[in-house]
Amino acid sequence: MLAFQQFQHALAQHLRDPHHTRRPPGVPQRRMAVYNELVFTNLCGFVDICFPVSRQLLGEARWRRLCRTFVRDWPLHTPWFREIPREFVRYLSEHTIAQALPRWLAELAHYEWAELAVDVIDVTPPAHDCQGDMMQARVLLNPARVDVASLWPVHRIGPTWQPRKTEPTFLVVFRDAQQEVQFTEINAVTAHVLALLDSGLTGQQVFAQLAQEMAHPDPEALQGFGQQLLNSLREQGVLLGTLT
Amino acid sequence: MHSIAQAVAGLGFRRELIPALQQGVPDAVQFFEVAPENWAGMGGRAGRDFRAFTERFPFVCHGLSLSLGGPGPLDEILLRRTKGFMREHGMTLFTEHLSWCADDRHLYELLPIPLTEEAVRYTAERIARAQDILGMRIGVENASTYIAPPGAEMTEPEFVRAVVEQADCLLHLDVNNIYVNSQNFGFDPHAYLAQLPLERTCYVHVAGHYVEEDGLLIDTHGSEVIDPVWQLLQAAYQRIGHPVPTCLERDFNIPDLPTLTQEVAHIARLQQAAWSRVSEPPLSPAAHPVLPHVAFPRQVA
Repeated sequence: MLAFQQFQHALAQHLRDPHHTRRPPGVPQRRMAVYNELVFTNLCGFVDICFPVSRQLLGEARWRRLCRTFVRDWPLHTPWFREIPREFVRYLSEHTIAQALPRWLAELAHYEWAELAVDVIDVTPPAHDCQGDMMQARVLLNPARVDVASLWPVHRIGPTWQPRKTEPTFLVVFRDAQQEVQFTEINAVTAHVLALLDSGLTGQQVFAQLAQEMAHPDPEALQGFGQQLLNSLREQGVLLGTLT
Repeated sequence: MHSIAQAVAGLGFRRELIPALQQGVPDAVQFFEVAPENWAGMGGRAGRDFRAFTERFPFVCHGLSLSLGGPGPLDEILLRRTKGFMREHGMTLFTEHLSWCADDRHLYELLPIPLTEEAVRYTAERIARAQDILGMRIGVENASTYIAPPGAEMTEPEFVRAVVEQADCLLHLDVNNIYVNSQNFGFDPHAYLAQLPLERTCYVHVAGHYVEEDGLLIDTHGSEVIDPVWQLLQAAYQRIGHPVPTCLERDFNIPDLPTLTQEVAHIARLQQAAWSRVSEPPLSPAAHPVLPHVAFPRQVA
């Protein structure tokens, strides 16, 4: 390490954990406080804006404590500001956090992040026919989309209601043709259908496979149901049509 | 691509301003500035709106996360993505802060580099590497600081000069940062200005700041530019001696566009007063061996 970098490491360490580390020698307390405040306030700004529901439900004191340990404990390697909220979600779901938190918090935060992420995902859909026959051809899923599969009904969590029991939930968060963010709740079967479509099967193949998996007594009827389901998903904007 | 005179005034591009700018970009605003860390890879409505502006107006790329003086490895992935972002939007000027913001992890705050010979060599090498990757000279900005790292072997203007000369890069002059530091550390901002390598200036920032209760100035970009800073800008123009694009930074408490535009128009007036005699014809690269000619994607003058 170069000599001048010792100061930098000491400063960085203190900025991440001002309550448990000493400020670098030669740095006045008042001036150190400016940087401590700037660093923490700035990072909280990036996080707060993405997670309004999580923040409200946790309450200000607990939320700030969580932000504090995020800054201290999570390796923030990204230079891109938009990715800081994603790192916060990863911190909640991957890191062992000492603070007592609601069991649904990590999933709620992921759902809140999905709304923000979908708003700005930089994707251009490949060539497709929006009137194409989705039973016969490969189907294009909306690429400006995040699938949220969670144990908790995260989309219903709010100030007036929080779940006490798990309730497996499937949500598709996507950007519609007007560039507005929408979400739709789907069931486990539809989530499975979307995964199969995404793997490259045609609608017909998907529902034939499904009939087999379910040992369905009337595979033809399932095809009819499937056609309706795909049309409905296309009307909503989850599916865009057939690949050309 | 067209080139225009360097004596232009611009504004930091922000998402909050888009609706007002879509109603019409005021004549005083001749270019915009963006941070690649905010706008590279932006899709959706914001990305579409952004592109609509880069197709019509010149943009300057001003980085925040490169950590030129930081102990962590130079982020070459960030540099390559920045290069692609600039090419995609026809940007030809890139500037970064002469500071650091990451060790092995990011802190997202501009921190002071210790003023030592070793730090000069280290930082200059990284700037040179950044210039190699971007394929252009870059500007480095004198930063606002609140602490003076111990063990300084030179003054700050000496440090800035040594770095830009060793790296053979350009100076991005921020007059508000000089003013903030002069008040917080008790020096004469005009004397400080005079010691900077102003002959290498490629770009200028002007902004407002916040005064804390105990008198400490914080470089917030959250209020209007004060008179002593305007005077410093005027003095800088006289000393620089060649026209340079100048951007008004405003990141917090953002007023409406007409109010912001008044400050941008004031920059333009100071530019005109300083350079009306010297700016014809517009500076050409051949006329000045050090400076790049900032090419703008479209004639907007």
